[in-house]
Amino acid sequence: MKKTNIIIIFVVLLFCLPAFLSHSLVNAVNQMLIAALFACAFNLVCGQGGMLSFGHSAYFGIGAFATLHAMGVMGAEGIMPTPFLPVAGALVGFSVGLIAGWFSTKRTGVYFSMITLALAELLHTVAPHLKGIFGGEAGLSGMRMPSLGISFGTDIHVYYLTLIWVLLAVGFLYFLTFTPFGRLVFALRDNSHRLRFLGYNVHRLGTMTFALSAMFAGLAGGLQVISIEASNYTVFDMHLSAEVVLNTYIGGVNVFIGPLLGAAVMTFMGNAFSDLTRNWLLYKGVIFILFMMFMPTGIVGFFQILFTIFRKYSLRILSPFLLLASIAALLLGFSTVYTVEMMQRVLSQDYQMLAQLAGANVWPAIVLFGREWFPGTGLFYVVPVFLFFSGLAALKLAIIKWHKIKDNDESGVSGATLPEKSGNDVSEQNCEFNAGEKV
Amino acid sequence: MEYFTISLFNGTIYGLLLFMVSAGLTLVFGMMGVLNFAHASFYMVGAYFAYSLQKVFGFWPAIILSTLLVGVVGVFVERFFLRRVHHYGHAHELLLTFGLSYIIAELVKLFYGNYPINYRIPESLNFAAFQIFGTNYPVYRLIMGGISLAIFVLVYLLLTRTRVGIVVRSAIYKPHMVAALGHNVPLVFMSVFGVGAALAGLSGAVAGAFYITSPNMALDLGIIVFVVVVVGGLGSLEGAMIASIIIGLISSFAVGIDLSLVDVFTLFGAGEWASGIGGALALKISSLSATIPFLLMLIILLIRPSGLMGEKE
Repeated sequence: MKKTNIIIIFVVLLFCLPAFLSHSLVNAVNQMLIAALFACAFNLVCGQGGMLSFGHSAYFGIGAFATLHAMGVMGAEGIMPTPFLPVAGALVGFSVGLIAGWFSTKRTGVYFSMITLALAELLHTVAPHLKGIFGGEAGLSGMRMPSLGISFGTDIHVYYLTLIWVLLAVGFLYFLTFTPFGRLVFALRDNSHRLRFLGYNVHRLGTMTFALSAMFAGLAGGLQVISIEASNYTVFDMHLSAEVVLNTYIGGVNVFIGPLLGAAVMTFMGNAFSDLTRNWLLYKGVIFILFMMFMPTGIVGFFQILFTIFRKYSLRILSPFLLLASIAALLLGFSTVYTVEMMQRVLSQDYQMLAQLAGANVWPAIVLFGREWFPGTGLFYVVPVFLFFSGLAALKLAIIKWHKIKDNDESGVSGATLPEKSGNDVSEQNCEFNAGEKV
Repeated sequence: MEYFTISLFNGTIYGLLLFMVSAGLTLVFGMMGVLNFAHASFYMVGAYFAYSLQKVFGFWPAIILSTLLVGVVGVFVERFFLRRVHHYGHAHELLLTFGLSYIIAELVKLFYGNYPINYRIPESLNFAAFQIFGTNYPVYRLIMGGISLAIFVLVYLLLTRTRVGIVVRSAIYKPHMVAALGHNVPLVFMSVFGVGAALAGLSGAVAGAFYITSPNMALDLGIIVFVVVVVGGLGSLEGAMIASIIIGLISSFAVGIDLSLVDVFTLFGAGEWASGIGGALALKISSLSATIPFLLMLIILLIRPSGLMGEKE
């Protein structure tokens, strides 16, 4: 089968990666794998079970600390050989997930979200006071020991350890979707009332789903600890929970591969851009909002739509539209990045100091995109405004083009929905009032 | 006695403040079914707006202006963001507001820096209202409490005694029917969202000057506000009021109590054994003051899931 071939090639590629990549890149891929596993575990509850959790950092953190204790804290003897350490994270994650899941799956909808948030926050506030378990505010650190004849001293060893665990876990989660249990989880999302009438224990099912998800989140936390050999209470922070929500939805929750893809892409971009910009989190938020508003099916959904329109229309018909759409995306993206970066630089304390030193009407130059810009000159303001409006114009043209393509298509089958860039005109008809039913 | 009285005052006023923020959240939820994650961000934005505006207009005009501005921001968010994703369902709206709160926090960091800013109450308001057990009680706390009380009375009267209030309450209860009777329900939603945001902005502008104004204030308060709304019962104004006061009092009393479970065991003569175990048993209540609201929420969810004043499911 074609799909299996692709997976096999991809896995082989992952195993060969350390041969081509530098140390820091191997580390980056390691982080991507961990983030992907975390997102995948999260998606078991969120995408497949239809329960939006805002507190998954708790189980990631619990797994991290459990693994750390199993590894041996502060010179203490570890209780497991290094390759099996994440099991500790997974087991403790599972047990804590059982308790937390029992509480939180008592309610559905936004109540569920708030309970998960409160549970995570509870842990976040207690953790710094429990010195023995979480090491207070300073946190704990350990040391991975050589075992089974492998030293685990280099990044490559850690990478292979992570890779094998992530492949096993993701494979398990994938095959879980085909089991009766996995099917019931889907049913939980689609119609839990009907499930209850059919005689299933919905609360127990929800708790089980939650616990399994927490287990793999804990595994991901354990892998993280093996790689960095330390942890402190900030892993319980809202920040991590937010990140996994963003990654998962940017990737797309409806398809199994979506969260994996989203987390891998966003972690990679985070790694790549964090040296270039200090505003990566802002861009991430903007990307998330754009996806939520115009492409709720995420990156995967975007490719699916591209695929459908490529099937339906020839490249010759499509190319002007695609060209315009890409130009629009580029121009709008560039003007946004320019504005944000400039604002950050102009408003920074260092620059304000420089400007004060330089005197009343002189603005020192700012270097951006390899060239000097002078605030106060016309060009400084004209560039982003011009780019923005030409971007809007290109967008408008692209939308017109798209409608022409659709009108010319006499068969009239509405197979393809509008792609991301032309989302603007859909929204008007959405504005009509839709009743605010209570959850 | 001294500790008791001062904690009572501080707790009540903190509770009233919590109410001012949660009022908008619970109304919007009751009406639109949207749990607005960005609500506490409006609180933060209010404080930052007031900080910037007071340099130009002075303290009180800045507070009024920033309230209005945050209200406009709220209307904008409802009209151009929430309404567009409404047909995808409530989970989607929740995610959208979640993303917005993320962006707002990052924008605040971009404009004002990732550290607390120097937003203070003006010198003319920085005096003691009265002396209590030899310590001065700041008049500004009383002003904060007074504003919150006034808001509660105003909102309550508006909802229960006026024609607008009737439309709003019926739009919460049966939106389709209200629309069929010829009322512009989307407009009502937008206004309620705007007013809710403005209330959050007002409390931010007022409280930011007294407490700390930093990019983390939205998250710190936001989670507590969620707790208030869940404990009080989603959509219930009275419930929000009661829950705010309870949580305000609990947090202010807990800070000063130096007891732990070890002391309980000591009563039964097992104190040494308990302190030997340490860990959770030796935790002092004072260090748990941030945790107790969450415990309260879990207890409420177990024994009365719809909240103190909420309707069943």
